[in-house]
Amino acid sequence: MTQIAIGTHKGAYLVEGIDGQWSVEGPLFPGWKVTALGLAPDGTHLAAVGSNWFGVGIQTSGDFRIWEQTESPPGWPEGGGRKMDQVWAFHHDGARLWAGVAEAGLFTSDDHGRTWAPVDGLNEHITRSEWLPGFGGLCAHRILTAGNQAWVGISAVGVFRSDDGGVTWHLKNDGVPPVGVPADVPRPEVGYCVHGLAHDPESPQRIWRQDHAGMFRSRDGGDTWERIESGLPSGFGFVIWRDDNSGRLFTIPLTSDENRVPVDGELRAYVSDDDGDSWLVSGSGWSDAPQYTGVLRGAFDGDNQGRFCFGTTGGKLWLTDDNGSAWQQLEASFPRIDAVRLLR
Amino acid sequence: MTVKVRLPRILTQAVRDGLRHEVTGDDVGQVLHGLFEKEPGVRNHLIDEDGRIRTHVLVFVDGERAGLSTPVPDGAEVQVLQAVSGG
Repeated sequence: MTQIAIGTHKGAYLVEGIDGQWSVEGPLFPGWKVTALGLAPDGTHLAAVGSNWFGVGIQTSGDFRIWEQTESPPGWPEGGGRKMDQVWAFHHDGARLWAGVAEAGLFTSDDHGRTWAPVDGLNEHITRSEWLPGFGGLCAHRILTAGNQAWVGISAVGVFRSDDGGVTWHLKNDGVPPVGVPADVPRPEVGYCVHGLAHDPESPQRIWRQDHAGMFRSRDGGDTWERIESGLPSGFGFVIWRDDNSGRLFTIPLTSDENRVPVDGELRAYVSDDDGDSWLVSGSGWSDAPQYTGVLRGAFDGDNQGRFCFGTTGGKLWLTDDNGSAWQQLEASFPRIDAVRLLR
Repeated sequence: MTVKVRLPRILTQAVRDGLRHEVTGDDVGQVLHGLFEKEPGVRNHLIDEDGRIRTHVLVFVDGERAGLSTPVPDGAEVQVLQAVSGG
């Protein structure tokens, strides 16, 4: 049995497949954007919901069917001038739950999402006054942790690393071009539009970065970055995913900053089996018909056992159960897909 | 004053005990405070980071548009609506 949760611009959906027969339940949270799906350290399912009218909320569930809203989602202090626009990402390190939000910031929870505390070392970083939003807003959207180290990606600010459990944070963007800054201008401290991050849990200093400016890799925890785009039709995109069992990397290239659709309408996942040195199309099953749609950074998931799925901004769900050799698109159509979780 | 509060259907997921409540208070601010004690998950959806009613949330007292300081007579109905914002 395959069970996939989808967070869309209009509710969440639960897709189940048994012996090739697919069914859809939903929408959960009708009328609400479901901007992130995650898991707490105790196994509680998490859904971040948002509304242009009513702000954000955190929903929790033990079975993904019966949900309860927490009393207090991550929030900025009243009167502080910051708005809580959206919860972008959840991440847990086995003990602590993290959330990345817009306006950009990190929050942590030690009670599986019921209450949240701001990560002041990042949120009040000395460069904060220089932070500027990307097209998707000023958002902290990707979080990695390994022991006492943590990384966060903020658009359009850059990657920060903490070496002391989140107390202090340092920008780590050497080797990545800033966005919209002429080459002859000195490199700014902030202004790097990271789109996605993945790392090797066995060797967490090895990090891959889908950036506004292209695809990059670091072998030293983000101290330096090198471009790795051989075989990709475009360096632009949002998704970077590493299958921790095989080491295979996945990405879904889009044409460019101003044209965020697949190159020539050919929607394809690309994979690398050499840590990003080279890339090629992942298997078969792709549509020959034009697919002018996008895939967002939270809309790709895998189970490290050969099953992967992703959702598109056009509301289609793609999946593979053989490590990317054969892909299929479900017949069902959904609203714009922001988040995907492969539950089982 | 004891008043009735009605919340919009979209907040169904945020409440524990339904969309209709009876609470006490002399003005809308006190009524909402009483509501939030019963339904703490609703507060963030009605009040923004400046402590004001959210821009696209409307509050009516017996059919008249109201703000946080609007007085509420005993037995009044306080209705919260989603503004028609957009095209």
